[in-house]
Amino acid sequence: MFHVITGGSGSGKSAYAEEELLRLAANSPDTEKYYIATMEPFGEETLKKIERHRRMRAGKGFQTVECYAGLAGCAKELVKEAGGKNVNEKDEDCDRRKRCVLLECMSNLVANEMYRPDGAREYTVREILSGISMLLETCTHVVVVTNEVCADGNAESEEMMQYKQNLSRINQRMAQMADAVTEVVYGIPVEIKR
Amino acid sequence: MKMIIGGAFQGQLAWAKAYLKDHDWKIEEHEWIDGKSCEFEDLCHCRGIYDFHEYIRRCLKENHEFSCREVIESNPELVIVTNEIGYGLVPVDDFERKYREYTGRICTELAGASDLVVRVVMGIGTAIKGEL
Repeated sequence: MFHVITGGSGSGKSAYAEEELLRLAANSPDTEKYYIATMEPFGEETLKKIERHRRMRAGKGFQTVECYAGLAGCAKELVKEAGGKNVNEKDEDCDRRKRCVLLECMSNLVANEMYRPDGAREYTVREILSGISMLLETCTHVVVVTNEVCADGNAESEEMMQYKQNLSRINQRMAQMADAVTEVVYGIPVEIKR
Repeated sequence: MKMIIGGAFQGQLAWAKAYLKDHDWKIEEHEWIDGKSCEFEDLCHCRGIYDFHEYIRRCLKENHEFSCREVIESNPELVIVTNEIGYGLVPVDDFERKYREYTGRICTELAGASDLVVRVVMGIGTAIKGEL
């Protein structure tokens, strides 16, 4: 199951995404739950946000993996860590049944890839989509939290437009591949695709 | 509690008034309060509030502590008309960012206590929680 979850700021999309992953994992016995965190701990406000999310996840059995850039590499590491075979071998049994992944959130990952020195820069979209494909190949369930950033009228710099375009291209491609897409509005799941 | 939400200028107040009137829930003009200018306490005894997001902005600006629980308990039949402000790029300005997130959290809690949540787009309402 590949479920893409979007929503605005403070909409409750993270809480919903966590519940969804726990629900999926509960139906797939013997799975390990991973949380791929993409937000860099930078500044007081971000630290608070990260702390809030950590508290939300506490006691739910997630293993947290930090991934600020290079999602494909991170997905490979997950397989190795879990004692699986090398994913490049394309082995049918590469123990994919054992992994459920919640990635949060795409809007941070895109910014990181675009602006970090070790980011993919102009290859951001390609890099991230190959990371998503890798996750889908190696995990039973993948839940990705993304963000609706395009419905505003902020004065736009070229840089902002490029960011919006990159995130939107990734969102559209993910939505094509996804089994389900949900927009969370004030805690209410609104089905976009099933 | 009922919430009528939507982007700016989507006609949510007009939609709410028409809908409530047709469903024996008519709120007279003087029973509505305006989030931009009402007294903070009015929220606990009015029947309807519009521009609720502006009320939240004022709470933050004037350090008025807002309690969802208090509103839910003291005014469970309240109708809230508000703008959705959580979309788009994260604002660079500290206050605007905080306001946007805070409004989202509050509306999420109030939506949880509502039996009806309607999203209005171009003047047309769709129930996302409960039934019309």
